[in-house]
Amino acid sequence: MTADDKQTKTARPDGWLERWTRLPGLARALFDEPAAGFGAWARTTAGAVCMLVAVQVITGVLLAFYYVPSAESAHATVAYMEKVVPAGAWMRALHHYGSQWLTLFLVLHLAQGFWRASYRRRPVGWLASVLLLALVMAGGATGYSLPWDARAFFSTRVAEGIAGGLPLVGDALHHWLLGGTEISTMTVSRFFAVHAFANPALIVLVIAARLFIFREPRTKEEGRASSWEGWQQEQFARQAIVAGAVFLALALYALKYHAPLGPAASDAEMGYLPRPGAQFLWLFQTLKYLPGPVASLFAAVVPGLILVGLALLPFLDARQWRRTSSYKPRKASAVLFSLALLLIVTMTAVAYIGDARDPNVRAQLERQSAEEAAFRAEPFEPQRPAAPAPSTPQANATPSPAASVPSPDSPPAAYIKQCANCHGSHGQGAKPFPKLLGVGSKPRRTVEDIIGLLNDPVAYGLEPPMKSFATKLTDQEKREIAEWVVILKKK
Amino acid sequence: MKTDKSRRKFLRVLPLGIFAGMAGVLAAAAFRFLRPVAAAQREAVWLDVAPVSELKGEKPLLRTVLAERSAGWSVTLEEQQVFILPAQKHQALSSMCPHEGCNVVWRDETNNFFCPCHDSAFAPDGERVSGPARRGLDPLPSREKDGILQVQYQTFVNNIKERIPRA
Repeated sequence: MTADDKQTKTARPDGWLERWTRLPGLARALFDEPAAGFGAWARTTAGAVCMLVAVQVITGVLLAFYYVPSAESAHATVAYMEKVVPAGAWMRALHHYGSQWLTLFLVLHLAQGFWRASYRRRPVGWLASVLLLALVMAGGATGYSLPWDARAFFSTRVAEGIAGGLPLVGDALHHWLLGGTEISTMTVSRFFAVHAFANPALIVLVIAARLFIFREPRTKEEGRASSWEGWQQEQFARQAIVAGAVFLALALYALKYHAPLGPAASDAEMGYLPRPGAQFLWLFQTLKYLPGPVASLFAAVVPGLILVGLALLPFLDARQWRRTSSYKPRKASAVLFSLALLLIVTMTAVAYIGDARDPNVRAQLERQSAEEAAFRAEPFEPQRPAAPAPSTPQANATPSPAASVPSPDSPPAAYIKQCANCHGSHGQGAKPFPKLLGVGSKPRRTVEDIIGLLNDPVAYGLEPPMKSFATKLTDQEKREIAEWVVILKKK
Repeated sequence: MKTDKSRRKFLRVLPLGIFAGMAGVLAAAAFRFLRPVAAAQREAVWLDVAPVSELKGEKPLLRTVLAERSAGWSVTLEEQQVFILPAQKHQALSSMCPHEGCNVVWRDETNNFFCPCHDSAFAPDGERVSGPARRGLDPLPSREKDGILQVQYQTFVNNIKERIPRA
């Protein structure tokens, strides 16, 4: 009877896990105190965070089997995964949404730790979580650039702008980030190296430091516990259940929703409106209200301040470490924490609502998603070797206006006169001016649309320097140009 | 007591079951994800070698053709070497040794093809003479069109007797 009693209180020491691994010891170090009911379930955020980190690592390694970090090939490799490779779209969606969920669960994890003032008893775990949040955000920011579609390109440009606007270090940082003075193939490989090697290495370092190097200050109770007690086993099971449920939800979500992917960055329209990932929307929205240099400073300083403030919490409360009974968080830090949370939640909401209410923005965003949907529906086109340079354009061999069947080789005379300077003699474009090849396959680019666009480019979401040709071309000329432009095929 | 014991056992097994389930889902997806996608069957392409009038003489002539190679997300142009035998109705031979795939060379002094990697030797018509190669040099389909000799480039599985094209 007594022997049986003992066994129910402490785990059998002869279990396989106990005998051959350090896992029970680690798990013991991670759980902080007995709890039951809602409180116990609320403490399972750690399990979800661990699971999501593992998913990011696994899917990230798998994606790297196909990805090529160069401006020429990155988009082709990502499109290949998305459209051709079995389970490729799911893998990308897991990685894309997994990073957002990971950010969310880390914030929840910190929030519940803050609520319980666990940073007093578990300062190492708290610091590790704060560092992990910073690194996960950095991973999200660098990962956004890798598919090298318009979304990636413009988010890189925004990151570049923010970095470049910082006082003192701006220029140097900008130069280092881009690997030169312009966004180029060097930028893609830098972002890739940071995203896939440097950042994960730091994450592993933080986790290893938490588990194997640093020790939490012990309370008497914890010091006594030498084997896995019943409540710890229960808590471990709760963690596993929540992790499993979150995994299932993420897996189904990723099945239903694709990770975004648009046409290659080189095909981007002039008026493209970039939008960051959900975890950065609040920052993006706040920056709209601030002038240039202040915005850069804000973008770097505010998240930094929030993170440093969180990291300092255990030290601010240092004298109270031993008084674990004091559960009420300090008022000042509670107010600051709530204000930061309020800023983030409000600005995220404002960003969504603002986009939904502004008709121009909404129209442009709808156009962009229509474009992405059209791109997704196209069959995969492998990357081909660059075609040999076109022979001298036959600009002078002007076809007679009566030539009824347009051919890509013979642009109308009015095109040569008014358009070719920027869009190239055969619609091939000339940086930074967009090419017209393949325009006809995009949404809202029928012959009538193109005529309307020539009359009023702004109405079609185009931006200067594209100007109105309403009075510079006759209606006949506009129609000739439009009919010629729609037949241009993508090269 | 009994129920408590089985509850403890359940608590031990449940997390392991959940982890195994997640790992299983990811492993199955990873298997599908990493399995190479078979390239679509393409119709054979005739590649220009040179005008027939330039391919003359008794000795095999080494020429290069530009063959498209399609792999995953990219299509590349690669230079491939072929031997043309003007004396044998412009028969074309792959220069790839059927042993381990090195490029064979033609040696005037011994009047045969010779692989520098493992010393396989082949007769002027490509038949195997000696060495570790298990078959002769691989013939490639060729034709004359508008005075230009054309070949279809392909590769075969190495180191076996039969000639099995690589899909």
